[in-house]
Amino acid sequence: MNAALPAPDRTIDTSGKLCPYPIVETAKAVRALEPGAVLLVIATDPGIAQDMPMWCKATRNEHLATFRDGAAWKSYVRRSPQREETAP
Amino acid sequence: MIRKAKAIGLISGGLDSTLALAMVKAQGVEVKAVNFYTGFCITETQRRKGGRADGSVPRNEALRAAADVEVDVEYVDISGREYLDMLVSPRYGYGKNANPCTDCRVFMMRKAKEIMEREGADFVFTGEVLGQRPKSQRRDTLRVVERDSGLDGRLLRPLSAKLLKPTIPEQEGLLDRSRLGDISGRSRHPQMAMAEALGIADWPQPAGGCCYLTDESFARKFFDVLQAREAAGEERRIDRDDVVLLSTGRHFRLSPKAKLIIGRSEVENALLDNYLEGRARVEVQGLPGPVALVEGTPTWEERLLASRIVARYGKGKDHPEVEVEWREDGGAERYPVAPHDDEDALEKMRV
Repeated sequence: MNAALPAPDRTIDTSGKLCPYPIVETAKAVRALEPGAVLLVIATDPGIAQDMPMWCKATRNEHLATFRDGAAWKSYVRRSPQREETAP
Repeated sequence: MIRKAKAIGLISGGLDSTLALAMVKAQGVEVKAVNFYTGFCITETQRRKGGRADGSVPRNEALRAAADVEVDVEYVDISGREYLDMLVSPRYGYGKNANPCTDCRVFMMRKAKEIMEREGADFVFTGEVLGQRPKSQRRDTLRVVERDSGLDGRLLRPLSAKLLKPTIPEQEGLLDRSRLGDISGRSRHPQMAMAEALGIADWPQPAGGCCYLTDESFARKFFDVLQAREAAGEERRIDRDDVVLLSTGRHFRLSPKAKLIIGRSEVENALLDNYLEGRARVEVQGLPGPVALVEGTPTWEERLLASRIVARYGKGKDHPEVEVEWREDGGAERYPVAPHDDEDALEKMRV
């Protein structure tokens, strides 16, 4: 799975933080990205596997993948190339 | 041509707020959804404790609602000091338990007004339904919330709008009042029919609210903390740590100045270990058993009593004597005690 994913432009580690903070921090980080750039989110809250695809759908960013990697979860998000603003 | 309106929608993720989102968006309004984090959401707490007993993790319904309706969503953390102080001294009082719903709504709407002004939006809307809740959704209470929040004329309840005074965006033609709802009361059938018409197929079943403040057992512990602090001559207040601990473990009131909290699972034991500052950690030695915390300033007799109760909930409960470690302020003592075996006395101490 990793081989097919793009290298992230930015990585944030939300380990130890629980719902809703991984998504709150994701939103802030994506807003700071250039359109089309990729964010890698590392999390230990297993809820991220459900939350990230839903958040991406709501905010029209692209959910590339979320998968378990050892004790943590990794989630790849590409900022929408068209949107000017993404809500925090 | 009438310009396109912008609105802030407050969502919990339940059916009513999902419908409100869909109804307003269907009128061509640019919608931004907001979910307030209070720290009292039962689903969030379940997630913090590793999910349900069957291993599944409850989904975040606010995110689900925003995703289904495809609107931007923002989380706003309101769980700080200002919110906690409101809970302790609500102007409009409590509901059946520790739920000051009217004050809480006013608090949230004031925050929503700030967001509305920051975003340059025209109005705020919610999924409230006239007459659905016995206190907080009565006609007079809806009006109080609108007035006290400063959102006069700019707070829309789309599901019941036709039964309420027209709001400013309706009067200005930014919204078509004829396409808003006329739902009232506790029945869910009109909402289910509306959901079908709007193509909304997925929503959580109503479960009597998602807020710990409406939970009877939680409310007992909430008021116990306030009363004990008053009795001990301390300030009547609730802190963030209290919010987590009140929903964790078994609670026993040893005296106004001392309370025992015993973990009920490995997850709760681990959680209690994150709240050691200013508390004693109590655990049976050499045998499996829970982690427990003691808050306050217990007497010597209360230390031994707490140790005996902790021993009662471990694998050594049938032993004639076990050794309990009492750790606080960087030091540790060990007390040989007989596990507590008087269930009636235990029940009297249980909060």
